[in-house]
Amino acid sequence: MPRWGMVFDLKRCIGCNACTIACKQENNLPTDVFFTKTLSEESGEYPVVTRLYIPILCNHCEDPPCQRVCPSGATYTRSDGIVMVDDNLCIGCGSCIVACPYDVRTMIQPQHLQRGLFGDGHFTPYEQQAVNRFVAGTIVKCTFCHERVDAGLDPACVTTCPTKARIFGDLDDPDSAVRQLIAERGGQPPLPEKNTNPKVFYVD
Amino acid sequence: MQAKQTAIVGDEFRPGFRLQRSWDRPMATSFFLGEVGAGLFIVSVFFGYLPGLILGLLITAVGKTAGHLMHMGQPTRAWRAIFKLKHSWISRGLLAIVLFTGCGIILALDGAGLSFGLLPQPLKIVVIVIACAAAVVIMLYQGFAMSHSAAISLWSSGLIPVLGLTYALLSGVSLLSLIGYGMLAARPHDDEILQIVQIGLLVYVAVMLYSLLHAATFGSKGAQQSVSMLLNGPLNKWFIPLVVVIGLVIPALVIPLEANAWLPRLVATSALLAGYYAFRVLIFKAAVFDPIQSFVPQVSGSLARRS
Repeated sequence: MPRWGMVFDLKRCIGCNACTIACKQENNLPTDVFFTKTLSEESGEYPVVTRLYIPILCNHCEDPPCQRVCPSGATYTRSDGIVMVDDNLCIGCGSCIVACPYDVRTMIQPQHLQRGLFGDGHFTPYEQQAVNRFVAGTIVKCTFCHERVDAGLDPACVTTCPTKARIFGDLDDPDSAVRQLIAERGGQPPLPEKNTNPKVFYVD
Repeated sequence: MQAKQTAIVGDEFRPGFRLQRSWDRPMATSFFLGEVGAGLFIVSVFFGYLPGLILGLLITAVGKTAGHLMHMGQPTRAWRAIFKLKHSWISRGLLAIVLFTGCGIILALDGAGLSFGLLPQPLKIVVIVIACAAAVVIMLYQGFAMSHSAAISLWSSGLIPVLGLTYALLSGVSLLSLIGYGMLAARPHDDEILQIVQIGLLVYVAVMLYSLLHAATFGSKGAQQSVSMLLNGPLNKWFIPLVVVIGLVIPALVIPLEANAWLPRLVATSALLAGYYAFRVLIFKAAVFDPIQSFVPQVSGSLARRS
């Protein structure tokens, strides 16, 4: 069984946010709901100034605090390491949101599902099928596009990235690109001091 | 030393401190009512004061439950929260609320002479022990639910549950000294004990609160940011006057005047509860997530400059 993980190559990321759009499209996310984002920050001092881009998403931690605090068992980890939320079990208490150090969980609010993006707010057929996928008052997050992964594909953000700054693969496979990148360039997990053992790494 | 407000980002696509917004006033109200009710219940049981027991039961069973249901995204599924006793403090808390309510109702009915002799003495002791143990869990579990995770540095402290327990007992003692004024007038020795306990708990709350802020001041960047918001930032106009002055200083000045007087008890209890509620709300409002990009040296430097 693989143990899926992701590496972000910060040297390659150009901050185009194509991953953000691909994710919203793939997962039919309502307005203001993001499973992934690319943050940007200036660094350096004039005249040597650069802009750094930092993609973020759910880190699918080995020891996920969100799962530990979930009182209903809605948050669970698949055998391949992908952390999921079962919206049939979620009670919307928000304890996972406050327990996640990465702030990458969102509660679907009723207003997210009440108005379409275009014209007078009526849902387009595309939006309508999207609305039916979500349950108001439950928590959503990145699932590494588990349907795509189960079908042997990469997550939508990885496929879309024009610079190949997102690399997805099996962390247990020593020949996988993710393992090699982490080993060669010293992959860093986000907030290691929180002891969550993320399966997402950054290389610079 | 402390980070400043400029590093807080909202929904912008920038690295920085992010405010916790999931647990807000309904949850704070729920925590407050749960602790106040459980505190009043346990103190009333100790002093054998039935109206206090019933009021504490109502505050917790009705007020706390209503607050939680208002907060929840799917309130009709609330019962599912009991399933993960092994891991989740919320599950343990829900079990405690159920036991507390059940045993509390039995004790209230028995105290009012409505148990029709169905509660013999040995069984009554068992019910009292279960109800009081559940009340202690209610006073503690909310703090453990907050401190259990390292996500929010301000909350990630063993002082949070202790502070909750102390505030709960202090509220219980203060409320009993107010609503049980008639009963205590006939028991001056108990009244004196209550007053001493009240002062002791007030001092302990003040020390705990100071310790919490002191530890956070020298904690992670997120904890420093939270302290900065409470003491120097946008929340200090609420924190200092409400939590410190009204919630601690005024009761400390008024409690010594309580002997044989009802008005000072009303003032001290009202001020204390107002301060405690403000604390519960502000501890949620001041909660921030650490910037997740702190490991990237360039961004860390840039964030420091922004501060």
